[in-house]
Amino acid sequence: MNRHTSFGKAVRAEQLKLKRSPVWLAFIALPIISAFFGTFNYLNNIEILKSEWFSLWTQHSLFLCYFFMPALIGTYCSYLWRLEHTRHNWNSFLTAPIPLWALYFGKLTQALLMTILGNLWIFFLYYVCGRLSGLDSPFPKNAASWFLFGTIGAVAVCCVQLFFSLIIRSFAIPIGIAMAGGILGLLITNKGLGLRYPYSLYSMGMRANNPNLELDISAHLSNSAAYIIIFVALSVFYLRRHEISAG
Amino acid sequence: MILGLARPTAGEISLFGLPVNEKNRIKLLKQTGSLIESPSYYGHLTGAENLQIIQTLKGCSKKDIDKVLKIVRLDEAKGKLVNHYSLGMKQRLGLAAALLGFPKLLILDEPTNGLDPAGIQEMRELICSLPAEYGITVVVSSHLLSEIDQMADHVGIIRKGELVYQNTLESLHTHAKQQIALRVSHTAIALDLLRQDGICATQEDDYLLLPMVDDDYVANLCRQLVSQNISLYRIEKREKSLEDIFLSLTGKENSL
Repeated sequence: MNRHTSFGKAVRAEQLKLKRSPVWLAFIALPIISAFFGTFNYLNNIEILKSEWFSLWTQHSLFLCYFFMPALIGTYCSYLWRLEHTRHNWNSFLTAPIPLWALYFGKLTQALLMTILGNLWIFFLYYVCGRLSGLDSPFPKNAASWFLFGTIGAVAVCCVQLFFSLIIRSFAIPIGIAMAGGILGLLITNKGLGLRYPYSLYSMGMRANNPNLELDISAHLSNSAAYIIIFVALSVFYLRRHEISAG
Repeated sequence: MILGLARPTAGEISLFGLPVNEKNRIKLLKQTGSLIESPSYYGHLTGAENLQIIQTLKGCSKKDIDKVLKIVRLDEAKGKLVNHYSLGMKQRLGLAAALLGFPKLLILDEPTNGLDPAGIQEMRELICSLPAEYGITVVVSSHLLSEIDQMADHVGIIRKGELVYQNTLESLHTHAKQQIALRVSHTAIALDLLRQDGICATQEDDYLLLPMVDDDYVANLCRQLVSQNISLYRIEKREKSLEDIFLSLTGKENSL
């Protein structure tokens, strides 16, 4: 990446800010916990769960996609903006000689990077747990599609969460929104409205709990794109209108 | 408003010959450094790492980091986490961040806010040295008049958002009215005596206030008072302080 462009500078600055920030540890730890319980459940119910890799995926993905991952993305986005919400950093953030859209995309890039790496980690754990559980059959090819559409859905969740964490000064409230959003996603998906709801776009893309789901790919892509565009635009618009009230 | 942190309700601002607007925002910010009231910092990073972030965003040379750290005398503490800095050190780090890239204009809002007397003096010395050493124009806003009196050469006074005075500090001081104050045993007789001499004196508490008169007149007046058996307790020269000038410009009613 060219470090001399506005975007390059913003990404580099965000990287520097994240030094000594242990928040990424949650991205390592929570999927491990989820994978552990998922595998444990699978092995304990192996008489009923006969579809091998697919069955293991149902156990791995349920809690992860509806609960852990939205909360993780929410936490990370909150952390990224918390850096500016505290210690009067808005003054310095907004007076950097960089276009505001670049500053926003600097944050978004960090959030996306972590989300994509987190998702890769989830699939890596799925593979390792499968092999450790004694699954000898080949790793399901469908997993590539689960990863791809899951990640696209996660990008939409990232944009939504980054917006909430930008406009809400509190660290915890946006995380609460993410958790509620994820859980509500389970109900909305069950009602068949999942493709209209950002948090379900992630779990449906991942085929959480339902590896045989026939995903309406065009609806998933267009709705994800709509959420991404709308929330990116809202965030940049908000930043442009942001005024610092005199202390 | 210059920095784009607040929007004007009406009117226009021009900086370096350019109108301050969205189009010129980046160009103008590149030539401006600022420290607004409290310093901005990332506490989990060291002083040097904080400056590295600003240096990256400003796109200035890495060497500037060491230079500005030396100017604000933080070069020895640059490896320490900013959370462990004192308020004075954080404020100096803020100034160092504003100085990165050596901008043409430095905007400092209440730069000595919350500092102890030693910190205030240090900050003041630093600010005063910038125009001479680096050719930087420094704009300081402050409620502390004595501070401005010791730093500024041009002053502007803002009352309720309106600029009521703008000129050199020297010219502001010429507004300072000098008076001679007298305290004597018989005020009424002394007042009569002054009026006979054509001096327009006023009485304020126990004192008689005379406009500035020359030394010979004062000496003569003393002799006259003594010859009339009036005891002379005090002769003082009074000058309106910067505070008084400020209040007369802004109106006392606004001070509460």
